[in-house]
Amino acid sequence: MSAEPSCHGAPVGPKRSSDGAPRSREARGALTVALAGRPNSGKSSLYNALTGGDAHVGNYPGITVDILEGNVELPSGLHAVIADLPGFYSVEATVDKSTDEGVARAFLETARFDKSGRSLVVVQVIDPTRLALGLRLTAELLRARLPLLVVLTHKDVLAREGHTVDVAALSAAIGAPVVLVNARDRATKAAVLAAVDDHAREGNDTQGAGHFDAAKVARAVVKDVGNASELRRRRLTERVDSVLLHPLVGPVLFVGIMALLFAAVFLVADPASSLMDKLIGLARAWLAGVFGKNLFTSFVADGILGGAGTVLAFMPQIVILTVALELLEASGYLARGAFLVDRLLRLLGLSGRSFLPLLMGHACAIPAIASTRIVRDPRERLTTILVIPLMTCSARLPTYGLVLATFFGHRSALFRAFIFVGLYFAGILTALVASWTLRRTATKGKGLPLVLEIPAYRLPQIRVVARKAYQSGRRFLRDVGTIIVAVSAVLWVLLTVPMPGSTAEPGIDRSVAATIGRAIEPATRPAGFDWRINVGLIGSFGAREVMVGTMGVIFGVENAADDPAPLTTRLREAKKPDGSLVYSTATGLALLAFFVLACQCMSTVAAIKRETGTWRWPAFVLAYTYALGYVAAVLVYQVSTAFGLR
Amino acid sequence: MTTFSLAEAVNGLCVRITAVDLDGEAAAWLGAVGLHEGEELVVLRRAALGGPLHVRTGGGGEFAVARDVAQRIAVTTVEKASTETAAAHLELAKGAEAT
Repeated sequence: MSAEPSCHGAPVGPKRSSDGAPRSREARGALTVALAGRPNSGKSSLYNALTGGDAHVGNYPGITVDILEGNVELPSGLHAVIADLPGFYSVEATVDKSTDEGVARAFLETARFDKSGRSLVVVQVIDPTRLALGLRLTAELLRARLPLLVVLTHKDVLAREGHTVDVAALSAAIGAPVVLVNARDRATKAAVLAAVDDHAREGNDTQGAGHFDAAKVARAVVKDVGNASELRRRRLTERVDSVLLHPLVGPVLFVGIMALLFAAVFLVADPASSLMDKLIGLARAWLAGVFGKNLFTSFVADGILGGAGTVLAFMPQIVILTVALELLEASGYLARGAFLVDRLLRLLGLSGRSFLPLLMGHACAIPAIASTRIVRDPRERLTTILVIPLMTCSARLPTYGLVLATFFGHRSALFRAFIFVGLYFAGILTALVASWTLRRTATKGKGLPLVLEIPAYRLPQIRVVARKAYQSGRRFLRDVGTIIVAVSAVLWVLLTVPMPGSTAEPGIDRSVAATIGRAIEPATRPAGFDWRINVGLIGSFGAREVMVGTMGVIFGVENAADDPAPLTTRLREAKKPDGSLVYSTATGLALLAFFVLACQCMSTVAAIKRETGTWRWPAFVLAYTYALGYVAAVLVYQVSTAFGLR
Repeated sequence: MTTFSLAEAVNGLCVRITAVDLDGEAAAWLGAVGLHEGEELVVLRRAALGGPLHVRTGGGGEFAVARDVAQRIAVTTVEKASTETAAAHLELAKGAEAT
């Protein structure tokens, strides 16, 4: 379906020549196409359809947050950059600049008066099953005199509901071109790009537009085509909601689903991790067999394979978690989760709006911190940012997996999964207590009113979910390939090179790393940590996923003369000079307690700095999480030891 | 016509917003979201322990409205819904109530 331009006046926008064509076509895309719309309007699906999932982070002056953009070529040959804006409700209501609405508004202002000569077309994505709601934003965009093209997505859903939209009548009523598409349909890309092309060349004069009654227009243009399935579908939604949102059953199901999700992450990924551990052992044995035992073999086997290779085993967990969270979000269940937990969160000074960022924190704190922009209340948003680092992000999983396999390997997988889920809930509980405390101290003040949109249930798009999974896997591989390989290599050197001035026989005990680790043993001994764990903690200060790799390198170098054994065995069987075991189950539990709480992630610290605009809050997060982590580790170790846990 | 707060509306009741007693900024944003004077709503359910209300608007949107916000929204009962959508929602809500 093509666009139906309704006006033929002078094109809107300051960067056009008299014939309406953009002036600069050589620039990085001669046209910016901003995808705008309310949250859950289908923007991401349309973005995916237009760009084929290709995305990179755009750089826009004055915009400090990531806006995904992809390049496309229009039918006329014009190059355009598609920018996926955050969902927003209004450009007129006053909002905090750092929220999604503030970001979207700043983007539109910047792009509209772009200094490089790029023109702007705003494509407003509307869910036609909620047309009246979408048209309220349309009116605001038109009143702001933005060059607007309206794309109605979910044509298929509309048809299933027994409705269609009179596109020509709608276009005439609002004074802007309209296209009706199904974002899952392959023909969508061509239809939308052709409409954008027409709009960029012809433009439309929106002066005086935007003064219509959204509800009346919606009633006038939505036609009933005699399909009675709408009521059936809505009845089904009602039935599902009556169970999932039931005042008593709903919360129980919700906690159950979350526990199942976290347990599944462990149970599915555990065999993969064990397999990888075995493969690394075989590779090390092969290297030693082919090249003999020398410095090169030690570097590759103990430094690179022992470090980065060990961490690689945890990629399945990270991908599975990303897929699960994406499915829950895309299906519309997460918004319902926010409805269920709103009351609890409000008792703790937050609201249902903070729920999504907090849950996203279980995959990675960095996008979760960025996603707090959906929280309109600045104080609530700051509180959410400050407690997100306590959520069990996927980077903690390698250490959790290693400790569980080392000290609880003899117990059943279900038992280990139970502890694993307990660690997730420990993080959540601590975050809730922390937010309660913060809202009564550092971030106290009255909150803004809460209204959350509850989207319709939708079948998640496999392509979109797969893209997210691919991106998370790629990010993890990139980290393994860069940071962890580098840290592993540096650590191998520090563990191999003796401390300057040392006159004793060279060996790992006299190495630079061991000397530093020993120097802080007096402080960490109450938590049961020895120099090896101390070195691991120092190495993982910037990125906690480095911990397992570091331990792999330490034990690889220390036991280089022995037959290669899995890291878990080496840890479990490590002995002191007097023959007693170095580590006990109490040590493992203390290490877990530390990892649950400490913010060992410089990327998170940088994200907090970016979102809060000051170093004060990142410093605060580092201080309070490390203090909590240390105290908890000491307590857990001392209590466990007192109870005779070995 | 009797007005009362949205928080007092029982489940399944179809109401029309008559006033929003919030400061200008909050009221404007609420209006942009879809809760504005003249809009018809059906209260579908409410979360446990004083949690939010789940409402559906005549425009087809569904929202979780915090109890304290609902207390600031004045509504009046709608005997006969003015839109087909609202009427359908009313019927659905009554069906849900019955189950």
